[in-house]
Amino acid sequence: MPSPIALTTPPRQESIFKKRSPSYLTAMRSAQSYLIALSEADARARSRDSASTMSTPALSLSSTATTLSEEDVVNDAPCDNSDGLAFPTTPPTSEQFSSANHLQFGFCANENYRYKSAHKAGTQLKELHEQDPPYYILLTTYLGYLFLICIGHIRDFFGKRFHPKFYGHLLPFDGYAPLNSDFDSFYTRRFKTRIDDCFAAPVTGVPGRTIALLDRDSDDYNNSFFLTGTTTRGLNISSYNYLGFASAQGGCADAVEESLRRYGASSCGALLEGGSSEVQMTAEALVASFVGQEDALISSMGFATNSTIIPALVSKGCLVISDELNHASIRFGVRLSGTNIRMFKHNNMKSLESLLREVISQGQPKTHRPWKKILLIVEGLYSMEGTLLNLPGIMELKKKYKFSLFIDEAHSIGALGPNGRGVVDYFGVNPREIDILMGTFTKSFGAAGGYIAGSKTLIDRLRLRGHGGAYAESMTPPVLTQIMASMASIMGVSPSTSSALELAQHHPGPAHPCQLPAWIDLPPSLRDGSEGRMRLRRIAFNARYLSRGLAKLGFITYGHTDSPIVPLLLYNTGKMCVFHRMMRARKTPIVVVVVAYPATPLVTSRVRFCVSASHTKDDIDTVLRACNEIGDVLDLKHLPGERWPLERIFNSAVELVNMEDE
Amino acid sequence: MDSSASALEPLFAFLSYALIQAELAFYKIPGSHVIARYVKSSHQNDPGRTVLEVLLALFAIRTLLQSRTRADNGEKHFIQFSEKEIDELVDEWTPEPLGAPLTTEEQMDLASIPVVSGPNGPRPKLVNTGKQVLNLASYNFTGLAGNETIKERAIETLRKYGVGSCGPPGFYGTIDVHMDLERDIADFLGTEAAILYSQAFATISSSIAAFAKRGDIIVADRGVNFAIQKGLQISRSTIRWFDHNDLKGLEDVLQNVEKERRKRRGPLTRRFIVTEGIFERDGTISDLPKLIELKHKYKYRLVLDESVSFGTVGRTGRGLTELYNVPATQIDMLLGSVANGLNSSGGFCAGSRHVVDHQRINGTSFVFSAAVPALLAVSASEGINILRNTPSILSTLQENIRAIRAVLERVDCITIPSHAASPIIHIYVRAQAPAATAVAGSKSSSNSAPLAFDIALEERLLQDVVDEALAQGVWITRARRLRGQEIVEARPSIRLAVTAALSRKECERAAGVVKAAAVKVLTKRK
Ligand SMILES: Cc1ncc(COP(=O)(O)O)c(C=O)c1O
Repeated sequence: MPSPIALTTPPRQESIFKKRSPSYLTAMRSAQSYLIALSEADARARSRDSASTMSTPALSLSSTATTLSEEDVVNDAPCDNSDGLAFPTTPPTSEQFSSANHLQFGFCANENYRYKSAHKAGTQLKELHEQDPPYYILLTTYLGYLFLICIGHIRDFFGKRFHPKFYGHLLPFDGYAPLNSDFDSFYTRRFKTRIDDCFAAPVTGVPGRTIALLDRDSDDYNNSFFLTGTTTRGLNISSYNYLGFASAQGGCADAVEESLRRYGASSCGALLEGGSSEVQMTAEALVASFVGQEDALISSMGFATNSTIIPALVSKGCLVISDELNHASIRFGVRLSGTNIRMFKHNNMKSLESLLREVISQGQPKTHRPWKKILLIVEGLYSMEGTLLNLPGIMELKKKYKFSLFIDEAHSIGALGPNGRGVVDYFGVNPREIDILMGTFTKSFGAAGGYIAGSKTLIDRLRLRGHGGAYAESMTPPVLTQIMASMASIMGVSPSTSSALELAQHHPGPAHPCQLPAWIDLPPSLRDGSEGRMRLRRIAFNARYLSRGLAKLGFITYGHTDSPIVPLLLYNTGKMCVFHRMMRARKTPIVVVVVAYPATPLVTSRVRFCVSASHTKDDIDTVLRACNEIGDVLDLKHLPGERWPLERIFNSAVELVNMEDE
Repeated sequence: MDSSASALEPLFAFLSYALIQAELAFYKIPGSHVIARYVKSSHQNDPGRTVLEVLLALFAIRTLLQSRTRADNGEKHFIQFSEKEIDELVDEWTPEPLGAPLTTEEQMDLASIPVVSGPNGPRPKLVNTGKQVLNLASYNFTGLAGNETIKERAIETLRKYGVGSCGPPGFYGTIDVHMDLERDIADFLGTEAAILYSQAFATISSSIAAFAKRGDIIVADRGVNFAIQKGLQISRSTIRWFDHNDLKGLEDVLQNVEKERRKRRGPLTRRFIVTEGIFERDGTISDLPKLIELKHKYKYRLVLDESVSFGTVGRTGRGLTELYNVPATQIDMLLGSVANGLNSSGGFCAGSRHVVDHQRINGTSFVFSAAVPALLAVSASEGINILRNTPSILSTLQENIRAIRAVLERVDCITIPSHAASPIIHIYVRAQAPAATAVAGSKSSSNSAPLAFDIALEERLLQDVVDEALAQGVWITRARRLRGQEIVEARPSIRLAVTAALSRKECERAAGVVKAAAVKVLTKRK
């Protein structure tokens, strides 16, 4: 293998990667046939008058050329298994097995590879202390930055003199200030561009257990990329597909198809102005009972849920207390609200309590009037750290200090808790004690958008005062259907006996049949909740297995063991791209996300694994094996403590997962 | 005295010993001799400099150690309390409820919103009444909602891609269909590139803030929509306003800014003109050629929000650029709504490659949010296809607009501020006393005399008109506003969204119903 540092894309002559030319690139027609079709279609459209419910013509040139038949989809599954992704190592025996499905949702029948995600009652949430790397690692990391800064400045110095046209857009030109200043873009130009092949890689197909990357290449040092026309399928340990509901087949996809046929793909406007539909109301009621609140509202984008609802909750004279690592959407919303904001140290209850004592006693700045409201905004599971919210600690503080609590469950909803109802479920807290539960559907549910749940009065207030209700487009029916179908599969639908009201009393219980539109016809395994439970138990197992396994191999990871997000620390920025490229160039390619400053602190560059229920134990083994090899090459194993050889980890996976926290 | 000195003796001895040790250790460090020599010689030459340098070093250390998140203008106003006092204060503090309960009017308002029971489209069935209605409320300008080709394409896409993208664009959320749609939009408009955001409303606030920073200058129309207002707010730039759609006023502002800059000899900062193509708030249209002329003359960048005009005006729906026949490349950032114009979901910003690529790293809601579901991106691409291939949809839309306006313009008790080509038609209550503010379409409309109208009263009247029309089988809606949060209060209005999917007859009938409702409600007021 050539040196991984030298590669930007895997060598093309090696045949370990499957290559298929994508079918959608073949559309090209003569101008004449195009014009003929054009006029025909227009005539057709005119002649068919307003009798039908819609009068737009059914013409599409591209669609005729790019239609995918059912066969294509099945053929999408590779016939060879050279990368070891298409078939499980222990061949399936009883059930009917399709490798197309296996690529999206791994086949894993062994009931031992399951775990229940729940906090042990009566125990404290483990305090995380971040393991520091040896000093030479820190030193080389800083030196690495220093070196890059120097090189960057030298290149800028000569570049500006010898290639001024490359710097044109950074300098004032013809009376215009540059859109992007030389200084602001230094990091992007001189750091990120060097390793841009590791970021924002385009993909195709379902972001399931495996994912197909579109191969690309650059002939101008990563300033621009072109697609080479081939694809590489790799094990996907990066997408937020926690429960494996990203799928083109199965009960949920069937329901979505039915909804497309019934409702089309448009929502036609803002909720208050002509975009309200019965489907939306049904979905909102289902979400409310899923999270155990009185009412919920759904917005068409997760980011916008935060950025448009927070300003409706707090205003001048209020205070927002925010975890220092909160998501950008929360910060965006708080900034728009114009309130005061204070931060406390990440998930640190001591820091939070001392801050609370300070702000309540001091009151508003200058005037010292008491705060009108204090809103604490935290996340259930932090997406870069893998830390679980210390909810028991916060609930205790909430009793004493009376602040309102807003939990962003973007990553935790579905992915955590014995019933998949997020951190609240994980810790067994009554959801009604929390003022606002927010979450997104982009992750565990394989859909899009976000929700806000709380008491009915509050949610009604937000329907009117949130920016989204009046101005933002509402969610489209297919996406709503995906949410309802996947959510009902997690909850299970009760055989219709008891009244809906009764069901609402037993919070993490099944959905009532009337909560689902009658036309959603889930297959039995989804309807009775058995598959949903299986998914919850699989992701819990995989999460613990991966983080424990990595620790036993000697890697420094962050976060709690139950978190499906497992960040593995790399420190040196240079190792990021090498790690990424080596993972991708393996016989079984593995697709990983590497992150560095500014998403993380300067020195703690990391690779972030997102475990999914769709992974099998074998998949986690594959990841561990790859990490082990690459970790040796890149000198990544710095965790003190007992190390286990790979085989021992593989063989005692169950024991490892069931081990208590020290 | 004596005894204390003797008691301190061992301490002095220790100190001198430690000093010697430290000196030895210092000289063991390679290169330390050079430093020592430098310090010595500089001290010899100028003892004051040593003091200065030590101070500088201390200052640097202090700055480095100071944490940024704390220091809440603290010290000066900080009151020292004992723990007990704090406990008491904590006990005493009673927060307001997080959200005040709705008033009865608000409850009725919320309950009055019609809910569609089947598919939304030109003739949906409503849950509230159980009847089919003619729809002039929902955005379905070119009638793409429910289009069979789009449905088929969406289903095919579903069967290949699933629904969600399960990741932001930077983390494997960029699917080939997103790139296809971005290319389709750029080709359609004639720009170099385009970037796709996952919600139209969230697009412009991130787009503006990706470029405009503190100290930059934004000159904006007073009548811009709420999303733009939020973008201006988040950018923290210096905002200068000009009167709604008053390009003469714009030029004055531009001249003033230039004068001020000359006077202050300030550095060259980024300058933007931000306005809308068709204004969402009243349906007026910007004079694009004039805007472009001014932008070039004063060297501003033009940010044009075409959320309403993209997909609705121009021969094939390319928007204002097609209407005025100016190349889209003249507009630095052209934003539009995939949701409104193409009946899918999301928004875009089109412009030069440089403008687009910058947003891929700096557009907050692009970077930190999951990409649009693949099937919606494909639906939008298909929508563009249909618009390209069927120019007659756009002419039908214009005919319908004319048909509706022909009926409504003759009604005495209302005024229509919207431009004749605008697919959204706003209806104001005509002021009873013939005040200057109520002249239809006049440039100096509501904004120069902001509260020349009674919001509560007019909203109530208009809601009565809406209800009356609904009872007669025509669904229209009041333009919903967040009162008290917009920069300039918009005058209460009814907003019609004309669609090409209704026949001319139906449009005329619907307009007749609206007319009758308006006459019935507004003539008997007082
Ligand atoms: C904590 C948090 N909130 C909100 C969001 C935004 O969600 P969406 O991707 O659905 O816009 C994210 C997504 O990354 C998130 O991590």
